[in-house]
Order: sequence, then structure tokens, then C-alpha cells
Amino acid sequence: MRYYIVAETEWSQHLNRFLSEYELYAPVKNTETESYDYEQITAETIDSIYYNGNTPTTPLKTFYLPIKENVVNIKENQPRIVIGVPNCDLAALNILDNIYLDDDYIDPCYKQNRDNTVIFGKDCYTYKKSCHCTSYSLKPYPQENCDVSMSITDGMIYLCPMSDKGESLLKKHKITDNKSVDTIPETIISKRQDVVNNLQNQNKNLPDEKNTRISIEKSSEELWDKYSDKCVSCGACSFICPTCHCFLLIDKEHFEKVRSVDVCQYPGFARVAAGEDPLHYLNKRFKYRYLCKYCYKPDMFKALACTGCGRCIDACIGKIDKNELILESFK
Amino acid sequence: MQTNNIYKPIKAQLVKVIEESPEIKTLVLVPEEEFSFKTGEFIELTIDGVGEAPFTPSSSPLDTKQLEVTVMKAGYVTDKMHNMQIGEYMGIRGPYGRGYPLEEFYDKEVLILGGGCGFAPLRSLLYNLKAVSDRIRKVTFCYGSKTPADCIYKPYITELRETPKFEVRRSVDKADDTWTERVGVVTVLLDDVKIDVPNSIAVVCGPPIMMKFGTFKLIEMGYPENKIYLSMEKNMSCGLGKCGHCAMGSFFVCKDGPVFTYEEIKNEPNLWI
Repeated sequence: MRYYIVAETEWSQHLNRFLSEYELYAPVKNTETESYDYEQITAETIDSIYYNGNTPTTPLKTFYLPIKENVVNIKENQPRIVIGVPNCDLAALNILDNIYLDDDYIDPCYKQNRDNTVIFGKDCYTYKKSCHCTSYSLKPYPQENCDVSMSITDGMIYLCPMSDKGESLLKKHKITDNKSVDTIPETIISKRQDVVNNLQNQNKNLPDEKNTRISIEKSSEELWDKYSDKCVSCGACSFICPTCHCFLLIDKEHFEKVRSVDVCQYPGFARVAAGEDPLHYLNKRFKYRYLCKYCYKPDMFKALACTGCGRCIDACIGKIDKNELILESFK
Repeated sequence: MQTNNIYKPIKAQLVKVIEESPEIKTLVLVPEEEFSFKTGEFIELTIDGVGEAPFTPSSSPLDTKQLEVTVMKAGYVTDKMHNMQIGEYMGIRGPYGRGYPLEEFYDKEVLILGGGCGFAPLRSLLYNLKAVSDRIRKVTFCYGSKTPADCIYKPYITELRETPKFEVRRSVDKADDTWTERVGVVTVLLDDVKIDVPNSIAVVCGPPIMMKFGTFKLIEMGYPENKIYLSMEKNMSCGLGKCGHCAMGSFFVCKDGPVFTYEEIKNEPNLWI
């Protein structure tokens, strides 16, 4: 691994150069809600980028799977750079890529969106109460699936190319001419370890993904009735989940089709023409989502379908805490 | 790996409409581009700007010039399909999924259990079996419908009854004065079927409740779980293993199925719903 060093004071010059070729998106802090979310960055707003905060409100998947997109009459999109992507979103790409870049049927929109995007993964130096990536063997810093990993310490930015795309971007912008080191500085290792320790401590009773699976499979129907009683089927948990991928095809004239996000928590999601509907009852739909995350998708793709981002907990208007449910099932 | 856009249908012209029953019509379509399918695979049939729905073609897979799709009126899109006029164009995506593994049927007796509109995919299979009948020992087709009026493909039944190696048995839930065959749910037909079970393959396609009891009856008759082929019906929207609507446990029915052996899916949730 090689880490190219850029002084924080020089970084905005690089971003300005990126802006001549790419749309640039990065987390910006909302001071009222103390949350972060991706915004399109311009030369004027470069200074508002918030590096190394916790998980942005919106998952990375929205760059690849917009709420609505015409999948027949495909619009070409501008190359873009997304800065500040947490590892929980990077890990989610293992599920999304398996589904949308499946060799048998490559999704042309997802592929275009994926090819046109350069991802800068980031270290999380802060975390939310709902963050629990370390419970599922993930680290709160980039491990795979990004093009460049980005860590900041003591006024210096350490950029590590993690793909050919990332390497060529840094080369093209002469960042590879900068001073570099082959190991990451101790201060970053120590910051990363602090977050790992804190997350492990925060979630010390939470089972790992394998034990979560076992406890969900063994859980009583009363547990699902109890928690689903607070669910209003709004679908926020799925909209905000970095691995949820379901959609509906809406037909338009000239045999065009619009892909629109769909959610298994909506009534009628699985209903067939003759009327049978395995997910008709709310408690069944509610449980199904957990089974999908911890049983079905891991079996299908040998990948985590819950990456511990905690967004579903933050977004739930019924205040359903997924981890509280899992802890209760684990007792 | 495909080269074309996976979501873009090819156009097909409606050249004929056959009324099968009050609620069921067969649409005969001529695709504008080369199109073929294997028996048991399905297509997504589109009405421009209205919607699309999955169907397993009911015609012979060996006929590559045109295909037939049998449509039961069940909702908004199928209602529109029933009102399509000859000469109009529809869209076809596919074929998708895993069909019947015909080579597994060679040198075997084939017992086919069908109910209602489940005859549609089975007719395609029967056409195909007839074409390879020199390699099949015998085909017994047991078909059930609600009433005599709901029995579809009547001319084809006559044709099939005259085909060597093919036997047809039918039942209706509720008979009228014209009915001379069995009365009762379709599984009653299995009571007096004479078949060499150890050298046989069974195929089941129909409404979920019929598939459930049909499968249990076949197991009772001694069929091993891996010799019972089920054509599953789930909400198959994209056909590509992406949209998630047809998920059945760890399978996407549209991509991993719709044809499965009972052994493959017996532990999956909501199998018969």
C-alpha cells in the first residue's frame, strides 16, 4: 500500500482541479441536526466539506440507484467523485454489485453510474449511537470497494489508491508526485483503533452476524408481533439501507421503463396475479426484512446484507431499534 | 453475457386471439426479431405504456416464428391484454429463468399434474415431449379445472388423446350434464393412474393449493423429492433476479426457477402461498 501525502492547505486546489472534469459530492454538516449528508460541491462550497465525520444520512447506493430512473432511454451522466464514503457503504457494494453487475444480466444504468463514479472512502473518527459495523467484522475505515482511501491527521491528508481508477486519478492530477509513505502513520492507526474500541464497547452485547442469524431463526412469533406493532410500513428502513435493492418497473410510452425504488415493507409487494400474498400481514413483512438481511442474502451472495450502518434505527418513525430487537431475540 | 439493454422489450405483433374460456384467451404473437425459448422458461409481456406481466409461453418451443401466450384476466394489465386488437404490437422481454430439464425425462414415464391456467406452461412442455416422444416411455397428463367451461385447450386435448404414448385424464370440481370424466379435485385422478413410479418423473403446475396437495400425493405414491418438478408462481417483475419481488428464501424464482425440484425448495418459506 502506498499513501500519498497532501497538506490540508493544498487540498482545495486539487478539488478545484477535479471540479473541471467531475461533479463532486461530499458530506456537509447540518449544524442544526448535527448530521452529515452528501451535497454537490462547487468551488464556493469546498470549505464546507466535513471530513471524517460519521455515516452520511444518505447511503452511497443513491448515487447508483436513484429513486427513479429511465432504464431504457438511458441518460448519459457526468463523471463524478464521491468523497467521504464510510466503510459500511463500501461493504454494501458486495451485495449491490452481485445483483446489478451479475454476468447474466448486467444492469446498464447501474453499470454506467458505477463506472462514472470515483469513490473516496474515509475513516470514521466519530460514530453514532446506532453505528455497529464492528459487530459484523467490519472496520470503521476503508477495507475494499473504494478507489481511494482518505485519512486525515495533523493537517495532512493520506490518500491511498485502492483501484486502477483511483490510481489513474491521482496520477493524472500529479498527486502521485507528492511525498508518499508505505505505511500509514501511527496517529491514524491509533485514531482508527480508538473508534474500533469505542464501537466494540458501545455494542458489547450485540451478537455477530452469525449469532444474530441463529437468534432470529429461533425467535418466537411474539417478538415479531411486539416490534412490528410499532411499524407503519413507511419503508424508511429500506430506503435508507445501503444494501436494499428492490424496485418496481413502471411502463412508459414507446416501451420505455422507469425503475422506481420499491420496498418489501409495502403491502402488495409480493402479491401475485391470482391474489396470493406471502407478505400480506405486517408482522410477516417485518420479519421477512430481518430474514433477508441475516439469512437469505448472506446465503445467496456470501456477503453481509446488514453492514451495521445503523441508518434504519435512526430513520424509523416508529422508533423501532433493530439492535434492541436483536438483543431481545438473543436473550 | 447480454449485449442489449436487459430492460428493453422487442416488439411482437398480435396476429390471432383464441378464446379458451370466459376468462382466458391465447394471444398469438409474431416477434419482429429472432426470438426463441426453452420449455418452462418465461417472458415478460408488455403493453406499451400500460404495464407488463410474466407468462410462460404455451406454444411449442420448436416453433420459432410465432409464440402463443395464454392470459387469464386477473387484473389491470391482463384486462388490457384481453382487449388488444389484431395487428397491434406488444413487447416481449426474455426468455428468463430455468425451464424443464427435458433430458432428465428421457427413458422415463412422465406424469404431469396440471390445474387451471397451469395448463399453459404444461402445453408447451407437452408439445416438446411429443417432439421427442421416441425418447420418452409414456406421458400421463392429469388436468383439473373448476368447471367444464373452464377447461382450456379443448381441441388440443382431442389431439393429445390421439397421440401414441400420451394419456389424458381430466377432472372438474363441479360437473354439468355434459361432463363424462372425473369429478373432484385433480389429485383424485392420481388414484387410478398406472405408472412405473421408480422410472418416472412428475411435473406439477397450477394454483398453489393444488401444487401443495399434488406434491404431497406424489410423495405418498413414492416419488422421490428430486423427481418432482414444480413450476413456481411468485411476483416476477423484472425477470432478471434484481427487483426482489419474487424472492423465496435464498432464491429469486425468476432467475433460479421458476422450475425447481421439490427437493431444492421444500424448506423455503411460503412455498405454497
